[in-house]
Amino acid sequence: MSKCRFEELIDGYLLNKLDTEEAERFEEHFFNCSRCFNQLQQREEVIKAIKEHGPALIREVKPAQSRLQRWADEVVMIFANRQWLVAPTIAAFLIVIFLIFSPFSKEEPPSFVLNGENVLRGQAINLISPIIDVNQPPLYFEWKKQGEDLEYKISLYDSRNELLWSSTTKETVIILPEDIRKKMKPGEKYSWQVKAISSNGILVAVSSRVQFMIKDEN
Amino acid sequence: MSRQFSTNELEQIIRQYRPIIGFTIKKALGPQYPEWEDIVQDVLTQVISKLQKGEFREECSLGTFIYTITKRRIIDCIRQKAKASSEKIEEIASLGGPEEDFLKKERAEIISQTLFKLKPKFREILYLYYYKELSREEVAARLGLSVRQVSERLYYAQKILARSLRKFFPEKNSNFALLRRLKK
Ligand SMILES: [Zn+2]
Repeated sequence: MSKCRFEELIDGYLLNKLDTEEAERFEEHFFNCSRCFNQLQQREEVIKAIKEHGPALIREVKPAQSRLQRWADEVVMIFANRQWLVAPTIAAFLIVIFLIFSPFSKEEPPSFVLNGENVLRGQAINLISPIIDVNQPPLYFEWKKQGEDLEYKISLYDSRNELLWSSTTKETVIILPEDIRKKMKPGEKYSWQVKAISSNGILVAVSSRVQFMIKDEN
Repeated sequence: MSRQFSTNELEQIIRQYRPIIGFTIKKALGPQYPEWEDIVQDVLTQVISKLQKGEFREECSLGTFIYTITKRRIIDCIRQKAKASSEKIEEIASLGGPEEDFLKKERAEIISQTLFKLKPKFREILYLYYYKELSREEVAARLGLSVRQVSERLYYAQKILARSLRKFFPEKNSNFALLRRLKK
């Protein structure tokens, strides 16, 4: 991959060293260049970390190891001292793996209570848009990704709680069809909800039912 | 000539541009600006509405078209903000879900670990350049190096950081494949 000539501007942009015109030219560029936008996001994270550590960065002391790393070191130590442990441990590990992935272990569906807005157990889907009152019928609905290989079922209800529209998708965003938009009126309240269904048909997550109103234009 | 977009394409555009629009708005207004998430929604809604009405006539790239809408909205906000500057702006928690926050923390942890694993000669430059915000020339003068050496070391440190992030989060760039598909 060849370098993009705009990459030079990333640091200047993040450290506010570019003049307005340069900054705008760079912004327009990263709307068009995903490579630069990726680098920009990553550089921002790096600069944030450097700003947080400050002068500690140039002192020799290292920050505390992460818990996982300490744990891994300990495990290595245990085996270094007791080599006879290795074979039985690997065997036990393989049995556990087998039990987890064996066809006999059934996937328990999480339980939900779906009357009204109560969700008792299982995962919750975060809804992104619309979640506040809007000026016009929404053009699209969007929610947070919940996992791999899921199908989402979205339902839109009117103020009398009657289903206005329902659809399924594997994406996390869906465009509302024009004919449904035309049915939605200013001053009315609507609500929507998303359910995630795994490839083997199990309901794995639901969102809360979010209400929004289409504001009266006048 | 106005270009027609399929429903599927519009959905990809929302997913593709949400982070870019969000980044730009946050940068312009500051992360403390309470309504920045709403403004992102606003811009996306405008974008989709204009595309559906056929207002994108391919006089520029789609990215530039979306940037223009974003920029106009930011300017409006800054104007309003100046008017309402006497009101105090409270800090609000980001709308990012717990999963997103978790991922961010994990990434920050990997970055910190990698930073401290770098040799002191790299850490020193990162400190002066990003923390003290000295120019490359000033860093070079301070450390008795050539500007080119400073640039090379900065570049090397970025490469190491990028590599360790890629190792732990290989899926990060996957959604950009969508844009490439759309572009052709
Ligand atoms: Zn670029």
